[in-house]
Amino acid sequence: MRLTRRANMTKVRAYFSLFRIKTAEGIQYRLAGLASASVGVFWALIEIVVFTVFYNYAANKDAGTLAGLTLKQVISYVWLSQAIWTMQPMSIDAEILKKINSGDVGLELCRPMDLYAHWFAGTAASRLIPVFWRGTVTLLCAILMPVPYRLGLPASAIGFCWSLLSFFCAFLLCTAFGTFVATVRLNVNWGDGPMYMMMLIGGVLSGGYLPLQLWPAALQTILLLQPFAGYLDIPIRLYLGTMQPNDAGSLILLQLIWIALFVAAGKALMAKRLKTIIVQGG
Amino acid sequence: MSSVRLYLKYLHLHLLTGLQYKGWPLMVLQVLIVVITDPIGIILLFYRFGSIGEWSVERILLIYAMAVTSFGLAETFCRGFDYFPWRTIRTGDFDRLLLRPCSLFVQVAGSYFHIHRISRVFAGLGAIIWCLWRLEVELTMLHICTIGLALIGGCLVYAGVFVLTSGLAFFTIQSLDWIFIFTNASYQVTRCPIDYMPQVLRRFFTFVMPMLVISYMPAAAVCGWTKTYWLGLAALPAGLLFLLFATLIWRIGVRHYQSTGS
Repeated sequence: MRLTRRANMTKVRAYFSLFRIKTAEGIQYRLAGLASASVGVFWALIEIVVFTVFYNYAANKDAGTLAGLTLKQVISYVWLSQAIWTMQPMSIDAEILKKINSGDVGLELCRPMDLYAHWFAGTAASRLIPVFWRGTVTLLCAILMPVPYRLGLPASAIGFCWSLLSFFCAFLLCTAFGTFVATVRLNVNWGDGPMYMMMLIGGVLSGGYLPLQLWPAALQTILLLQPFAGYLDIPIRLYLGTMQPNDAGSLILLQLIWIALFVAAGKALMAKRLKTIIVQGG
Repeated sequence: MSSVRLYLKYLHLHLLTGLQYKGWPLMVLQVLIVVITDPIGIILLFYRFGSIGEWSVERILLIYAMAVTSFGLAETFCRGFDYFPWRTIRTGDFDRLLLRPCSLFVQVAGSYFHIHRISRVFAGLGAIIWCLWRLEVELTMLHICTIGLALIGGCLVYAGVFVLTSGLAFFTIQSLDWIFIFTNASYQVTRCPIDYMPQVLRRFFTFVMPMLVISYMPAAAVCGWTKTYWLGLAALPAGLLFLLFATLIWRIGVRHYQSTGS
């Protein structure tokens, strides 16, 4: 019993060091990170201009506030979502994709490691790397902006703590979904099409295009319950205080349920695929 | 003339190669979904907030669609330059192109071609026609010519951006991601009504990178939002000028080229 526990610990440590090595390697590309941050800041500024115009000059200019988001909150929303936008899986990990396409998956199966956990660690690193520089630089710019464009303070200290926890869950959710899509991609014949479509649906429904609260009122419940609200919308709502800290527990539980579902689906699909896997190359 | 024939031959070959992959209709569908979902944010905003003065959702979408269609055209026909920094130069494939006694420009432009990129053009054209119909614009010959010229000009502008990126890639192979501001992020600017757009953005996208010249001005001319119709015809010369400038940078880059890869 003790022995198996120890063996398990060593395994977990192995996956964690895989994650650590890859992250450390990735964040060395400082300039690439800064270039990406410049796009994030530019994009955020345009979004802020558009929202400001709507909140000040539109025919129903109070519609946003009535939906529960003031202009100040929307501006904070834009900054936060731009900071962590690249955490969302927009394609699967390049290394994994290469292995699938070249047939090196066969080689991977020879390792005395669980392939799913291995890929999960790799995907986690590739979700964290793009956020590292882009996120910090974008947030720094957001704090240093002149007042009307600045990132607002969190609504409350407790809300902020909950939102930090929720941001971490968002990271896990992005990783779980990214790994799930990688297992779908194991079917080489389908090509990249289905993979990108799945990712895109996630991106649209995450609130990155438009805060979910500003979507049509009739859809609000569904929008909150669907898995991708957990990417951005739930953590940011907790930060802004548009969701009370009392509800934080159930919202984070929702994120955790989706994480568990995606992990289970990924594992099941991988087990099924590996039985009939086509190894390419020679 | 022989360059044009060579270019068309390249496209033909790439088209045939692309069709070998059974999944190509899926890729077309995928790009189509990308293009359709992209303006979803602004459409939902208009749905909730209503128009901004004279600016209705059709007006904004028309300007947006003009820019997107131009971008799609450039992406379809100049894909080689779009990929150049990431694929051709890093792998050292450029050396081989230099050895051939043909136009470099044509060789690079024709080095990639993806059939599914054209779905952006079709979606954009569809949006333009829908907006013009909703805005009840009478389609005279002159208007059609203005829009056609604007799209050609726009294609040249975005091709210019790709050429410019490729030229810069000779000096810095990595960290060219900021060029995204001139490509996919540039047409996001059109979501903001021109009257309310900050002066800095407006000047930048008129005089530095003439994105508004190829989208807003022709749209304004055709729909009669301004009195000066001739400004709508400025798209083609602006596109040519921008492409010329980009070609200059590209030439300087080529002269500085030291091989990479092995």
